[in-house]
Amino acid sequence: MSRLLPFISCMYSVSSRVIWRASPSLPPLLRPLPAGQTCVFAAGKKELIDLPVLNEDELEEQFVRGSGPGGQATNKTSNCVVLKHIPTGIVVKCHQTRSVDINRKRARDIMREKLDVAYKGELSEILVKKKESVLRKQEKRRKANENLERKKQFKEALAADSKPWNDTV
Amino acid sequence: MDLSSMRLWTLGGVWVSHAVHTCNAPVLPAGRITALQAMDFWKKHFERTGVAEPDQSSQYIIAHLLGAKTIESLEHGKLAEFLSHEKTEQMWKLCTKRLSRMPVQYVIGEWDFRDLTLKMRPPVFIPRPETEELVELVLTDLEMKPETGVSVDTHPTCLEVGCGSGAISLSLLKSLPQLKAIALDQSQDAVTLTAENIMELGDRLQIYHLDVLTAVVGLCSPVSVLVSNPPYLFSEDMASLEAEVFRFEDHSALDGGKDGLKVIKQILTLAPRILSNHGRVYLEVDPQHPLLIQRWVKENVEELRYIETRRDITGRPRFCILQKEKSNQDRELAFGLRN
Repeated sequence: MSRLLPFISCMYSVSSRVIWRASPSLPPLLRPLPAGQTCVFAAGKKELIDLPVLNEDELEEQFVRGSGPGGQATNKTSNCVVLKHIPTGIVVKCHQTRSVDINRKRARDIMREKLDVAYKGELSEILVKKKESVLRKQEKRRKANENLERKKQFKEALAADSKPWNDTV
Repeated sequence: MDLSSMRLWTLGGVWVSHAVHTCNAPVLPAGRITALQAMDFWKKHFERTGVAEPDQSSQYIIAHLLGAKTIESLEHGKLAEFLSHEKTEQMWKLCTKRLSRMPVQYVIGEWDFRDLTLKMRPPVFIPRPETEELVELVLTDLEMKPETGVSVDTHPTCLEVGCGSGAISLSLLKSLPQLKAIALDQSQDAVTLTAENIMELGDRLQIYHLDVLTAVVGLCSPVSVLVSNPPYLFSEDMASLEAEVFRFEDHSALDGGKDGLKVIKQILTLAPRILSNHGRVYLEVDPQHPLLIQRWVKENVEELRYIETRRDITGRPRFCILQKEKSNQDRELAFGLRN
C-alpha cells in the first residue's frame, strides 16, 4: 500500500480553483478523541485502539468547488476530500460517501491508521490486528474442512453398514 | 434521422447505434451488458455531449441502481456482473434524464446531507456541501457550555428560514435529541418535500408554508437559534448559472436581489423579535457579504451584535454568526437605573 501518493493524481481540471489551505479548525464532532480513548471503525466494528492524535495544524485539506464563488452558485457532486499530513507527507484521499462532512471525518480516521503504521511499523496495532484476523480466518477454514471430512466419513460408514433393501441413509 | 449522422459503437461486442442528433438518446443495447460496461458507455457519452461531471454522473447512477450510494461501497465484483434487462432499461432511462443536464440528485431522487439521506425533487433546492458546515457551527454552540453566550437551554428551539428539502433542520434534530425545530419556506414544493423527509424526527419539527415576516407575527415564543441558507446570489449572476442549477432549481431559492442581500436583510431585521436574549443567528452567505453585513447590521439593527465570520472548507468567507443583545436602554430599565 503506497503511502506517498503523487500530487499529480489529485489534480483537477484547469478551470477549477485548487486551494491548499491549513485545515480549518474542526468543531468537536470532527475532532479525534485523545489517545487511549480513540475509536477506529474497522470492518464495521468499533475497537478501542491507541492511535496517534491528529494535530490539525499539521494537516492540509483540499476540496475543489470550482473557480467561482461556490455555494449556491454551483451544484457539483464531486465530494472527494484530500488530506495531507505535512510532517510525513502522507496523503489520504476519501470519496467513500456522498457527504463531504463524513468523507472528511473518514479521511482523518484513515490518516490516523496510516500514521500508526508509519510510526510503529510492524508493531502497529493495525498490522497486528490484520494478522490476527487472517489467522482467525485460516483457523476457521481449517476447522470447517475437518468437520466436512468427518461428516463424509460418517456417511460412508453408514452406507457400508446399511442392509441392501434399505436405501436411505 | 439520416444515416450520415449515425455513428455505430460496439458495446461489449454488441452494436449500439448512437445518433448524433440532439433529440435522440442512445438506444438500448440489443444484448446483455455488465454494469461496468454500461457505466463506461454513459461516461463516454456524457463526455461527448458536454454533460458536466461525466464520470461522477455515470458512477452515482449505476451505484444507485445497484443499491449503493457510491461505487466504492459496492460489493467486490458487483460491477462485473451482467445487468438484467430491467436494470439496463432503468440505467438508460436515468442517464437520458442526465443528458438534459438534470442534476444527478434529481435523477436518482435522493442525496445525502451529513448522516441523512433525503429525497430530492425539482425544483426544490439541492443542499450544497458547504451547508454541512453551517450545521456543525450551530451544533458546536448548542453543545457547549454557558461561556459561549448562547443561553443554555435544556429545551432549545431553532427556527429555519427557507428550509428547502429540510436538510438543515432535520440534520440538527438528528444530532440533538432535545432540540425542537420550526421550519419555514415560502414554497409549497419545499414544505411538501421537507414533510416527506421527516421520518422519525416528525414529532419535533413543525413546518410552515410562510415567509419569515408572517411567521414572526404567529410565533408563540422566542427561539434560541435562527438559522438560514437564504437565497444569496446576485440577480445579475443568475443568467450565467450552470445548466444544472439554472434549468432545474427554484430561482427564488437562489436570487438574493441586486446585492444578494434582499432576504438576508429581512431575516436580520426580524431576528431580534424571533430570538431570545443571547440567541444567535447563523447564516450562509456569498463570500462578498460578511463585511457588508457587519457594517449594515451595526447601522440598522441595534439589538444584533456581529460575532464572527467563519470560512468554508474551500477557504471562502461563508458563514456569519450574530447574537441578540438586548439594548442598554432595556437593561437600564430592568435594573431600575432610570427613573
